[in-house]
Amino acid sequence: MIQFFGKSAELQLEKDVSTRYLPVVISAMIFLAALSIGGLFSLSNAISDWSETLTENLTVEIAFDPVADLDKKVADAVALLSNTPGVATARAIEQEETLLLLEPFLGKNASLGDLPIPRLIEVIIAEDSAIDLAALNKKLAEAVPGARLDIHRPWLDKMVLLGRSIQFLAAGIMLLIGCVTVIIVIFAVRTGLIMHAEVIQVLHLIGARDNYIAEQFQNYFSRLSLLGAVPGLIVAIIVMFIFNFLVGSLEASMLPPLTVGIEGAIALLLLPLLVALLTKYTVRRVVLKSLRRMM
Amino acid sequence: MVRFENVGMRYGLGPEVLRDINFHLRPGSFHFLTGPTGAGKSSLLKLLALSHRPSRGLVTLFNKEVSTLSREDLPGMRRKIGVVYQDFRLLDHLSTLENVALPLKIAGAKNDQVYQHVAELLEWVGLGRQVDAKPPTLSGGEKQRVAIARAVINRPQLLIADEPTGSMDAEMGLRLMYLFQELNKIGTTVVVATHDLELIKRFGNPVMILKDGMLTTRAQDELPSQFSKDPA
Repeated sequence: MIQFFGKSAELQLEKDVSTRYLPVVISAMIFLAALSIGGLFSLSNAISDWSETLTENLTVEIAFDPVADLDKKVADAVALLSNTPGVATARAIEQEETLLLLEPFLGKNASLGDLPIPRLIEVIIAEDSAIDLAALNKKLAEAVPGARLDIHRPWLDKMVLLGRSIQFLAAGIMLLIGCVTVIIVIFAVRTGLIMHAEVIQVLHLIGARDNYIAEQFQNYFSRLSLLGAVPGLIVAIIVMFIFNFLVGSLEASMLPPLTVGIEGAIALLLLPLLVALLTKYTVRRVVLKSLRRMM
Repeated sequence: MVRFENVGMRYGLGPEVLRDINFHLRPGSFHFLTGPTGAGKSSLLKLLALSHRPSRGLVTLFNKEVSTLSREDLPGMRRKIGVVYQDFRLLDHLSTLENVALPLKIAGAKNDQVYQHVAELLEWVGLGRQVDAKPPTLSGGEKQRVAIARAVINRPQLLIADEPTGSMDAEMGLRLMYLFQELNKIGTTVVVATHDLELIKRFGNPVMILKDGMLTTRAQDELPSQFSKDPA
C-alpha cells in the first residue's frame, strides 16, 4: 500500500502540469460508468421482477355480451380454473375494481353499465407448476364461450427485449468509457515519458531496471485514477439518490427507480479499484514497451 | 576488462563518428583519453558507459560481449560502471545527498548504510556542508564534485570521467584526480577524458588520442603541446 501511494522520488511526476487534469477526466468517466452500472443492474432487477410477476399472474378476459349472463360465465370460468391442477387461485375481479382500473382513462364519473367492458378473472399459478397454458386456454374457450386467457407473454417479451437492449447499450457505454480512459492514460504516460526522458536516461545509466522506472509511473498514475474515481463515484451515487427521489415523488410508475441490489453495489464500490488497476496495468505496459526502445 | 575490436559508431544514418577503434584496457589500469573537440571522445565514452551500442565491431566489457547482452543484463553491468558526465546530469529536485545516494538506492542498499557512506564521501569531496543543497544552488565546480561522488559511491569496477576537472579550480581538480588514483589503486579501471594536456603530463598515465574518429595510443613524450582548434 505504501508502495502504491509512494511518490515518484526521482521522476517527480507530481509536478507535471500535463497530468494535472487527469483526475478530472477520470472522475467524469467514472461518473458515467457508475450511472451505466446503475442502469444495467436496475434494469436487470426490473426484468426479473416483471418476469416473476407476470409468469405467476394471468388474466382471463370474458368478452362483453349484452345478451349473455356474464356473472354465470365468470362463475363457470372461476370454477373451471380452480379445479385445474397448477392454478393456486382464481378470483373474479369485481366491477368496482375494474372501474378503478379504468378510472385513469375514463374518469371517475364513468358509468360502467353503459360501456361494453369485459369481465376479468385474476389467476395465480402455483409455484413450480408445469401448466400447459395453451391447452388451458382452449379448454376455457370451449367451456365458457367468449373467455380468453391473457398470458401477458407478448407484452412481457417486448419489455424484456427492450430491457436487454438497454442493458447491452449500457454495457457498450461502459466498454467505450474503459477504452477512452485507457487511451487518455496512454497519452498522458507518453507525454510523461517524453518530458522525463533525460532523468530516465540518467536512471538507466546508473543501473536502474525498467521495473524501477515503470513502478514510479504506474504508482503515480494509479493514484491519480483513484483520486479521480472516488469523487466521480460519490457524485454518481448522489445523482442516483436524487433520481430515485424524483421518481418516488412523481409517482411515475413507468420509470423504475435505480435499485442496483447487492451485486450492483459491490460493482459500484469496486469501480475505483478496478479503474486504478486498469490504469496501473496500462501504464506498466506502455512504460515498459517504451523503455525497451531505449538502450 | 574492456576490449574494443574494429568498433565503428554512427548516430542514425549519419556519418561514422568513430572508425575502426581497437584497444584493450586491463583491469586496474588508468588511461587518459584526449583529442581535439569533435574527435569523438564523448561517443567513445557513451560506448564504454553502455549508453549506446556500436554500429559495428565488438565491444567487450567485464568479459561479456555487449551485443549479446540482454536488456535484463544491462542494469547489472551498468552498476559496475561509474560515469562522470561533462554536463553533470544531476537531478535538480534531489538534494546533494540524495543525488549521490541514488546508485546505492537503485542497487537496493539499506538506507542507514547509504546515508552514512554518502555523508562521508561528501565530506571528502568538500561538500559536507551542502548535503541538503539542491544542484541549482551549487556552483559548477560543486556540481561536478557531486557528479563525481555519485559516480564513485558504488565502488565501480570501471570509472569513466568526461572532463571531470573542467569546472573547478586547479587545487580541487588535483584533489579529485588523487581520489581517482586512490580508486585505481584498489582495482578500479579509470578512463578520464580531458583536454587538459598539463593534467595528463602531470599524472603520466597512458594516453589514448582520438582524432577524426580514429584512435591512437601515444607515450607521454609524444603528446602535442596543444590541439588544433579546427576539429577537422
